[in-house]
Amino acid sequence: MEQRTTTLAELANRRSLLKGLGVAAVGLSFGGLAACSKESGNSTDAAASAKIAPTGEEPKLNFYNWDTYIGETTLDDFKGASGTDVNMSLFATNDELFAKLRAGNPGFDVIVPSNDFVERMVTADMIVPLDHAQIPNIKNIDPSFIDVAYDPGRKYSMPYTWLVLGIGYRKSKVKPVPDSWKPLFDSDQYKGRISLLSEAGDLFRLYGKYLGKSVNDLTAADIKTIEAMMIKQKPFVKAFHEDNGQDLLVKGEVDLVLEYNGDIAQKMVEDDDIDFIIPKEGSQLNSDTLCIPKGAPHPKNAHAFINYLLDAQAGKKITETILYPTPNAAAKALMPDTYKNNPVVFPPAALLAKCEYAKFRPDMQPLYEEAFTRVRAA
Amino acid sequence: MQDWKRQPGFFAGIAAAPVTWLILFFIVPLGIVWAYSFGRNTGLTSIDISGTFANYARALEPLYLEIFLKSVAVAALTTLICLIVGFPVAMAIAFAAPRWKPWLLLLVMLPFWTNLLIRTYALLSVLGTRGFVNQSLEWLWNHVGWLMTAIGLAEPGPFEPLPLLYNNFAVIFGLVYVHLPFMVLPLYAALDRLDKSLIEASLDLGAGHWKTITRIVAPLAAPGIISGLIITFVPALGSYLTPDLMGGTDSQMIANVIERQFKRANDWPFGAALSFMLMYATFILIALQALRNKKIEARS
Amino acid sequence: MSWLRNRTPVAPLEYGRRLWMRSWIAAVALFLYAPLLVLIVFSFNDSKANIVWKGFTFKYYGKVFHNEGLLTALGNSLTIALLATIFSLILGALAAVLLWRFRFPFKASVEGTMALPIVVPEICMGVAMLVFFAAIDWPNDLVWPLSLGAITIAHITFCFPFVALVVRARLASFNREEEEAAKDLGATEWQSFRDVLLPHMKPGLVAGALLSFTLSLDDFVITFFTSGPNTITFPVKVYSMVRFSVTPEVNAVSALLILLTVVLTTVALKLQDISAEAKS
Repeated sequence: MEQRTTTLAELANRRSLLKGLGVAAVGLSFGGLAACSKESGNSTDAAASAKIAPTGEEPKLNFYNWDTYIGETTLDDFKGASGTDVNMSLFATNDELFAKLRAGNPGFDVIVPSNDFVERMVTADMIVPLDHAQIPNIKNIDPSFIDVAYDPGRKYSMPYTWLVLGIGYRKSKVKPVPDSWKPLFDSDQYKGRISLLSEAGDLFRLYGKYLGKSVNDLTAADIKTIEAMMIKQKPFVKAFHEDNGQDLLVKGEVDLVLEYNGDIAQKMVEDDDIDFIIPKEGSQLNSDTLCIPKGAPHPKNAHAFINYLLDAQAGKKITETILYPTPNAAAKALMPDTYKNNPVVFPPAALLAKCEYAKFRPDMQPLYEEAFTRVRAA
Repeated sequence: MQDWKRQPGFFAGIAAAPVTWLILFFIVPLGIVWAYSFGRNTGLTSIDISGTFANYARALEPLYLEIFLKSVAVAALTTLICLIVGFPVAMAIAFAAPRWKPWLLLLVMLPFWTNLLIRTYALLSVLGTRGFVNQSLEWLWNHVGWLMTAIGLAEPGPFEPLPLLYNNFAVIFGLVYVHLPFMVLPLYAALDRLDKSLIEASLDLGAGHWKTITRIVAPLAAPGIISGLIITFVPALGSYLTPDLMGGTDSQMIANVIERQFKRANDWPFGAALSFMLMYATFILIALQALRNKKIEARS
Repeated sequence: MSWLRNRTPVAPLEYGRRLWMRSWIAAVALFLYAPLLVLIVFSFNDSKANIVWKGFTFKYYGKVFHNEGLLTALGNSLTIALLATIFSLILGALAAVLLWRFRFPFKASVEGTMALPIVVPEICMGVAMLVFFAAIDWPNDLVWPLSLGAITIAHITFCFPFVALVVRARLASFNREEEEAAKDLGATEWQSFRDVLLPHMKPGLVAGALLSFTLSLDDFVITFFTSGPNTITFPVKVYSMVRFSVTPEVNAVSALLILLTVVLTTVALKLQDISAEAKS
């Protein structure tokens, strides 16, 4: 049935089908065709927020975001509400974002760095303070996210999502439930069935947690200890993954991964033999935030866009698509119970209390990287 | 080969475009990064070009040299396998009937117009623990087991999937997979329209096929073989995606380390130093090769 | 069983007809195409990710035609690849002839420098181009297709040395006497270049063009660093999907691209056959 409906829909939308074939056949005209016929054809939700006042700038916005990290109709809804055309470009990791903007802003208005990169960019003078008067929807944010260590009073950033690192595991293969970092970091119990995140800083900080310290209190001596531990554990680790550990878990390549709760929650929808837990020693929190880089060509539009993303309805649609934990209390209230009460998406407060945000430490970061190179080469 | 002074006009006409482009869009940008390799980070985005050699000293530490040598070994093995696998393919295309040639070329090139990441994901599906290969082997194993019990032999134990991924085997497999056309194309270009009468003469005189290939075809196609070797070895040495996605915990190659410096570590001067070490080595090799050619030319 | 025996005996040079050669080619074809078949099969997978088979569906092909972002990215990539290949062929052929034909001071250095774009780690080159374009204040708000200019320049720079290398290997087998004969018959330097040298270079040019197109179409790192806000390309789009899993839509696009290439090549070859027949 679905096949027939798709074909009918395609036939109905002849123009789009022809466009697709034309592009494919000619290649060159492709970009041109797509550029001029911005066919949205998506609904402007009646319940969407009221029309936003025009800001007086040219109605364009360049948004630099992670892939599929937005609702399916959000950009079109925003255009319907404000008349501003949003052009979304993509990056895959924070370092790429930073490396790209390091030499100067090539024209982006809104970017989505993670919390430690917000600190980095503030230090490097790459982002501008936000004008809260243009972002009234800040009231929708859960109070616990307003005064955070990496951006007190939300001077430079607005929270978009938040995440916590933990252990994703396959219930049928991993017994007992791994409530500590030990099976992942310090034991051969699951040898050859483990995958760790390939991020040096996160790994070192989590080992620090396992050893009972705070993520931001590691010293050079600690690095040496942890390096030795990692080298000892390395033979039992199957692979280091680049933030796609959830794929390895689903495929059955490994049974335990170090991953973000949001990624595992997305996979749990399709595979119910998978679960997630925050170990008892505590873990690290992350948050992806919205910022305006220096030299943005449309700062007023940027503020209006950030405000729109924080709206309750818009936030709900975004969360429905990406299923990550949201710091937007108003949006969360509109979500179904299966989401609100999901212990993977919103872990119990007792465990969360033991989790911290990583602080950006320019003195330690190079040491982590060099030590990790040594671990990988050992 | 003639001296440029004999036809300065023609020479200038030919040399102008490539040399200007190379200087403007390659030497100049690279020059900036080369300057960085003599600098150090002052703050997160600024680099002070202080003329220091500290980065190069660090690049020569045993840790990095070891990684470099290991990468060379992996790239060399990949190139060798590509040569062995690719040479017959290139020969088949070069000696094929003219109407089949474009199709065979297309056959070889087509996989490589698919995006590398998608192909790697597909390779991961094929080689994984529950991938295509292992599932077929498991099916065979189970049926063999049934057969063996039917004959009366002991039943073989449970199927152990082959560890085809997340180790060095996977890295080499992936690298060969990616770089094969880079070997086949130059070989084909050199073998095509090779003077066939020479080969026929050699065969008529009694040399077998093997001898003909090694003594006649290979030397005549030498420039093609060498260019094939170069454009396979060098990118293989610099590949970081395949080791990243398909390798195990000790499959780190030099390009992964360099990438880490430019991205996570935010240490552009050191990354530049490592990159340039790679380039100095290759530059010297190629310049030596050119000088050697010059000597051979002078002799003949 | 006579159909098993070859009708005509295999000539010594007809390697393509020998059994061992055919088995070898078949094995290589299997090696190259098995993952592609998996890829095509998975494009019909009814699951958000590319991992486990969940059921058959055409919906991702439908999604492709509605996914503007993906289609625009693909269009950009094809445009850049086409332009880069054309310019690389020109520059590469010129460079090859230059190095093959002439002796000049500092030739060894030029040869070495010409080979550097092949050696440079991609990320180093990407950063170099990023810094370069920032330093010369390259404008970021050009209209399409000029907005792809920075990326195209970068692609040409790393593609043409490959072309030069392949064409030069081809030139090594050129017989100078042919050229001298042409000149004796009154051709100028440029005429003999066009009518004698160029046809000989053709297999090298074809191989170089294929190489260059492939390199450009698949490039990610350098493109990432030289792309502006409105110039996303296909590899960049695909790589940025890694965080959330590569959906079968991407497989669908790849399958369509493969189909398109086969169709276009068939058409091109048929046209060539027709024009060849018309001439004779």
